Amino acid sequence: MLLDTLEAVRALLWPRTMRRYSSAVLLLPAIALVLVLVAGLAWMGEASLHLLDTETFDTGEDYTAANYREIGAQSTYWIVLGRSVLGAAIVTLVTLILAFPYAYVMVRTASAWTRKVLLVSLFLPFFIGQVVRAYGWLIILGREGLLNTVFGAVGLGPYKMIYNYPSVLFGLVQYLLPFAVLLIAPAVTAIDEEIELASESLGAHWLRTFRHVTLPMARPGLVAAALVVFTLALTDYAMPVILGGGTNDFIANAVYDAFFRISDSGLGSAVAIVLVLIATALAAVILTVLGAGTLGFSDERR
Amino acid sequence: MKRNTIDRRTFLQGAGAFAATLPFGRFALAAEPAKPKELIVRVWGGEWKDAIDAGVSQSFAKATGIAIKYDETEDNELQPKLWAAVKQKRRPPVAVNWDTTTNATKSALKKMGEDLSDLPNLKGLLSVAQPLGFEGYPLVNVYSYVYVLAYRTDAFPQGAPKSWKVMLDPKFKGRIALYNDGIGFHPAAQVAGGGKVEDIPKNMKAAWDFIGKLKAQKPLLGEDPDFTNWFQKGEIDLACTIVTNARGAKKNGVKVAWTIPEEGAKVDTDALWIPKGLPANELYWAKQYVNHALSTEAQQGWCDGLGLPGVNPNIKPPADMVGDPAYPTKPEDFKKLLRVPNKIQVENEKEWFGKFKAIMQG
Repeated sequence: MLLDTLEAVRALLWPRTMRRYSSAVLLLPAIALVLVLVAGLAWMGEASLHLLDTETFDTGEDYTAANYREIGAQSTYWIVLGRSVLGAAIVTLVTLILAFPYAYVMVRTASAWTRKVLLVSLFLPFFIGQVVRAYGWLIILGREGLLNTVFGAVGLGPYKMIYNYPSVLFGLVQYLLPFAVLLIAPAVTAIDEEIELASESLGAHWLRTFRHVTLPMARPGLVAAALVVFTLALTDYAMPVILGGGTNDFIANAVYDAFFRISDSGLGSAVAIVLVLIATALAAVILTVLGAGTLGFSDERR
Repeated sequence: MKRNTIDRRTFLQGAGAFAATLPFGRFALAAEPAKPKELIVRVWGGEWKDAIDAGVSQSFAKATGIAIKYDETEDNELQPKLWAAVKQKRRPPVAVNWDTTTNATKSALKKMGEDLSDLPNLKGLLSVAQPLGFEGYPLVNVYSYVYVLAYRTDAFPQGAPKSWKVMLDPKFKGRIALYNDGIGFHPAAQVAGGGKVEDIPKNMKAAWDFIGKLKAQKPLLGEDPDFTNWFQKGEIDLACTIVTNARGAKKNGVKVAWTIPEEGAKVDTDALWIPKGLPANELYWAKQYVNHALSTEAQQGWCDGLGLPGVNPNIKPPADMVGDPAYPTKPEDFKKLLRVPNKIQVENEKEWFGKFKAIMQG
């Protein structure tokens, strides 16, 4: 009775003739979200073409590329940009190296207890925000922090372990590791364990099996993880602020500074557009080199 | 006929003069507009919020029955939201904005603020209360503050350092701190680098050279709460910071003191202003709040909490600041203060910020 009623309501709200549009309707929220992002980008693109008048603190009416010229002319932006791209590349590499064995053990372990521990350890950081985690590292790595206290007890240190570039990268790896594991784990799950066993039964050493069987078959997960980790690291704001000591800015910090510290929305928009273009171009390079097919987008996989 | 008419400003001033004799000293219209349940005031956190709450808000709430709620959004972050609200003729997110005078001046240049000229308590304030370069009061400065050289007393057993140049001592490498936009340091760096404050902004080579040397000392760059935190955690020995932060750290048991070095120290002001777009009744009560904040009673309580000299000449320094040059009262104290007009700061902020970043991020 209840099911009949629900079916009648469904037929009233979404008649059978409309079924062919169902998939399109399901896509509407995603399309709306993308449109909001595109509209925001378009607004920033337009704003980036106006120059700030520091006598009135209004942006001018005329269209100009002056903000982009300023970005090109100021070495600060190039330094910060280079630091961001290099940092994102290092963080991506280190994160993938750490995430793959974690995901592999989590999927392949025969011990339910080990899997539970690894899963809990994976999800726990998601309940703690990025900023709180970064402050946690200050408590552990600070001059009077936990680690230096231990060093002090054995007559070493204190060592300066925070407020530098490596500590920013360290914080980013710790922040992004769970994302990478979550993206790699399904790819490892999809690899039939018997294929690995077949490789080994044919005489391949585990390292050879790993290199020629496991790694290529886990490629979709690795590519997805690399894309997510790289873009999140490249656009991160909080870690450079909290662990960088103010002299290790990433490009997102430069966007913030332009918008909020010097009230120049035109320059801030231009820096943001440059960041979006670079992130998109680098993501495109990753997909071109590794192939979009690795993410399951090729026709053969349909 | 004009003889028998009275404009609003004259009426308010007259009413204010009368009302000022009352304990709360608020100006009053014949029929007061309806009271809002609450007014939202933007503040900085920590000692800053505690000070305005104890000095201004509690007595205002007691006298009017209007609760004061605080918005602790960073001043720089609230600014574009306020500008957007006023431009779009929406109700602004706060009724009163406690702001740096530099930021408030930018908002005033964009004509974002209500005119406060009719506040009775403006009468008799020190001249520093009045914003320069404007007709009327699109903002009112509420106190002055000095960017002192704060130092860890353990690191200076011989006594206070004499000069900003102490920051260049190799033993303090990695143990000094400045604001992350360089604010408060330019004039001191100009003099410490061998230049003159009068040359700002035309020739600031001395300042940039000095800041360039400081870069080699690997300074930490942060904001108000960072300085207290860094002193507390033993990360730094020296900082250029507002005296209120150093005083707050000292009150929290951190072994910190401060000094005005021989080159002098920058003095600046903060302001209150009211964004346009408030409902008429809320605007009236927001003005009452600002007016109250300028009264002797409120200024005394507020500035005691901050350890800063207010714009009301009748207030007295808190006990721990008596004789402290960071709370200037004597002619020799004022001689050591380096002032850059707000107009120059506003006009050159972007360029100075860019140069500071170029040095520090390089």
